[in-house]
Amino acid sequence: MDEERFDAIVVGAGLAGCAAAYKMVQEGLEVLLIERGNYAGAKNMTGGRIYTHSLEKLIPDFREIAPLERKVTKEKISIISDNQATTIEYASNDYKENEESYTILRGRFDQWLAEQVEEAGGMVVAGVQADELILEDGKVVGVKVGEDDMYGNVVVIADGVNSMLAEKAGFRKPVTPEQMAVGAKDVYELSPELIEARFGQSEGEGTAWLSMGDVTRGLMGGGFIYTNKESISVGMVVSLAHIGQSDKNIEEMMNDFVATPAIAPLLKDAKLVERSGHVVPEAGFGGVSNLSGDGYVIVGDAAGLCMNLGYTVRGMDLAIESGIHAAQTIIEAKAAEDYSAAALKKYDDRVLNSPSIGGDMKLTAKFPEFMETDRIFKEYPQMVNGIMHDVFRVNDQGAEPIMKKMMRRVKKVGIINLAKDGWKGVHSL
Amino acid sequence: MANIWVYSEDVSLAKELVTAAKQLGGEVGAIAITEEVANGVAATGINKVVYLKGEATWAEAYGKEIAAVLTEEGAQVVLVGATPKGRAVAAEVSALMGTGLVSDAGNLAIAGDTLEVERFIYGGLAVSHEAVAFPAFATVPARSNDPAADGAATAVTVKEVAVANTVTVVSVESANKGGVDLNKADKVVGFGRGVEGEEGLATMNALADVLGAEVGCTRPIAEEAKLLPVERYIGISGKQLKGSLYIGVGTSGQVQHVAGIRDVKTVVAINSDENAPIMAAADYAIVGDYKTIVPALADAIKAAK
Amino acid sequence: MPKIIVCYKWVVDEQDIRVNQGTQELDFSRTKKKISDYDKNAIEIGTQIWEKNEGSTLVAVSYGDGDVKSSLKDALSRGPEEAFWINDDNAAQADSYVTANAVAAAIKKIGDFDMVLCADGSSDVGNQQFANRVAALLDVPAITATAELTVEGTTITAKRRLGDQFETVSVAGPAVYSVLPEVATPRFPSIKQLMGAKKKPQTEFSVADLGLDAAQTTPKTTVSAVKGYTMVRKNIVFNEGEVADQVKQLADALAKEGLL
Repeated sequence: MDEERFDAIVVGAGLAGCAAAYKMVQEGLEVLLIERGNYAGAKNMTGGRIYTHSLEKLIPDFREIAPLERKVTKEKISIISDNQATTIEYASNDYKENEESYTILRGRFDQWLAEQVEEAGGMVVAGVQADELILEDGKVVGVKVGEDDMYGNVVVIADGVNSMLAEKAGFRKPVTPEQMAVGAKDVYELSPELIEARFGQSEGEGTAWLSMGDVTRGLMGGGFIYTNKESISVGMVVSLAHIGQSDKNIEEMMNDFVATPAIAPLLKDAKLVERSGHVVPEAGFGGVSNLSGDGYVIVGDAAGLCMNLGYTVRGMDLAIESGIHAAQTIIEAKAAEDYSAAALKKYDDRVLNSPSIGGDMKLTAKFPEFMETDRIFKEYPQMVNGIMHDVFRVNDQGAEPIMKKMMRRVKKVGIINLAKDGWKGVHSL
Repeated sequence: MANIWVYSEDVSLAKELVTAAKQLGGEVGAIAITEEVANGVAATGINKVVYLKGEATWAEAYGKEIAAVLTEEGAQVVLVGATPKGRAVAAEVSALMGTGLVSDAGNLAIAGDTLEVERFIYGGLAVSHEAVAFPAFATVPARSNDPAADGAATAVTVKEVAVANTVTVVSVESANKGGVDLNKADKVVGFGRGVEGEEGLATMNALADVLGAEVGCTRPIAEEAKLLPVERYIGISGKQLKGSLYIGVGTSGQVQHVAGIRDVKTVVAINSDENAPIMAAADYAIVGDYKTIVPALADAIKAAK
Repeated sequence: MPKIIVCYKWVVDEQDIRVNQGTQELDFSRTKKKISDYDKNAIEIGTQIWEKNEGSTLVAVSYGDGDVKSSLKDALSRGPEEAFWINDDNAAQADSYVTANAVAAAIKKIGDFDMVLCADGSSDVGNQQFANRVAALLDVPAITATAELTVEGTTITAKRRLGDQFETVSVAGPAVYSVLPEVATPRFPSIKQLMGAKKKPQTEFSVADLGLDAAQTTPKTTVSAVKGYTMVRKNIVFNEGEVADQVKQLADALAKEGLL
């Protein structure tokens, strides 16, 4: 290898960056993977679950070697208002192998993935920041890291949601507050036995639980709970554009959330070991602007690849898949010795034509907009819980026909609104 | 009765060690490398004083001779004053004799043929209870004990030794630019990163003037902001206060800083963050902006005097 | 052109230690390790002297359990050309006596030196004995509490901070120097230094390699208990009323204690 020039420099050792680097290294490319944190995963607080269809393509035996927490076999969705909650629960052991998902702790997981890159022969350097891209005649030729200039044929921009590299170079528009949300996450330590007993599951099985409604004081957003091996990740996500409208800050909201009757007993006597906050992308496909150009590709969150459908939140699988596509494109570019915009455009095509990224994201592109409706997070939860309350309440006043009970609640929101939102919701999926 | 020996190049610290040795209960001997210390410690009336008389002026050069005396005398416990030079001598002699040494020891006690002590570790976060088998060495910080009172003076055994300096001492100068030693100050106003610039320093000086206190700071203020000389920072690696009052302004209360104020009788914190760790280390606290609180406090102190 | 050996310790980051408020037990479950803070100053001054003096050499030495291996890249990215480490399964129980025996033996194996550098104490247990012990075992002088260290030709000058005095000494032959943090500010290694560190040689010594006998590896000091330290303070916050009221209450409290 030319000492001063790598085949590819990957900036950011998250899932997308590691996936791209790993795949390229496996194909014999000289790769430099740099990470701002003191180690890969150091800056990552993603609460999480990973759908493993793309990880499996990258590392087929991941089930044996990856630091997975629990296999998700129970899905729950709660609609919360005031002191009420309506929960739908789906338990399944029927997910096929490529439909599986696992809870993971990103601090551990990313570190492991970066180690795979290093063991495969990649140069992984943590604790350094790529300040900006080096451009020559409009072509990206490397990155500036402190006082050193590092050169590579292609730079893989994988520096996350606030991709400063891409933004500084003008490759993507600054992210607007509407496209962003603020996330907060707690990790509570609890013994595996208690976790399994409280969530009603067998050894090694996990729960993914999303909730919406009053968890966020009626603002855009929702809550999540994931069970790990020996801990529970609890968090919430609130739209950045809306957070200023609340009289509570995210920390106070978080305290309210973990104190709700549906959650508090699950965390009883568990020890809070970590509380963190982070900006998370929420834009969906509307957030994707530019995926590649002369000498560079953008992957994962940096490219706005994430999907929030309310009932499922995805990003990690998309990140890995985009990393694989980027790697494949660069491997071909190296073979043809052509790193031009035209050659790297194949990456865009791969992403956009991939059923699980382009397909799913296009299909659901309008969903974030639909989710912006205030009614979704405030009035509907009250309606649903109100109906449930009326249905299950027994007192000395005698019974009322169910339809009448429901209509009283529905009228509060407005039949027209309900029909409109229902139509929009179905059609944005 | 244990056979206990003390050593310090500082006469008052040597007398403090005599007190500590007597508390342990035993025959007390002392080694001195200057006549001043030899006579000073002999005045306390201990069992034996050995004065190693050599040419060397560098205390660190006497390690082998000290080891020889201690071996010959069958010392079981050796207490050394925890000054920089004392620490150096203790570690060297301990290595030469192949024995254990505990540094900056407190709560010393003898149990069977071991010396048991407590000492701070992890920057003052925790206390470690340690035991050293005889012959056991410990360094003991200054002002941990009262100096032993004078009694019927012991005869000093003078031992001529052929010791020359192993390094060349070029110069010795005062390290206290301000002419004060915070270790000995009774009252100190200390400040941290919450206090800004020369203006902030002036505010601290004004409060210190009213109290008759010295001004100190946290390590970053001395090493990074450079508002005060390094001699003025308080903490595990800096000055350790033993006075009656410490007022910490805008100091977050990192464990390394707090380790320097744990022996102060009364600690006051003035901080804008009510959750700052310094609050747990304070007797009295006011939460808010030091720029208004400190001048107001200076006035209130004037009025209360 | 000095041959420099710099010693460092791979320690638990004390910032990550938590104290159980009930039992006062220490919880290390979330701790990471680091090169002892003060040792970074020692490595830095070693690197600066090495960079300034053509023909000088700089190697790093550490002692600990197998975990020390993960410290080598960090140490090497800070300057040293080569790293030696002693792998001792019993390192967790080692006291300064054992540590110095092991490191002195390793230094004898590494070869001639002009300067052995280390910190005055470690940021974990802070025994402050290592420099003098190693020097005694190597039969060279130890210069502790070094605040400034300069090399001019074959003369090494050290300015020591001894309480309220500075003592400047000059040294002709080989010696061990322990340094204070002020001696040099550690660098943030650059990406090229970090990459370069991966290619530098590493040598592992076992206790057997060093020919240490059982007596030399048996600690003289044992730790019977470690408990979190809590300062007993009054914890009174004056938060009623205006600033004027608060400072008056404080002044009155201080007056009552006879502190004014």
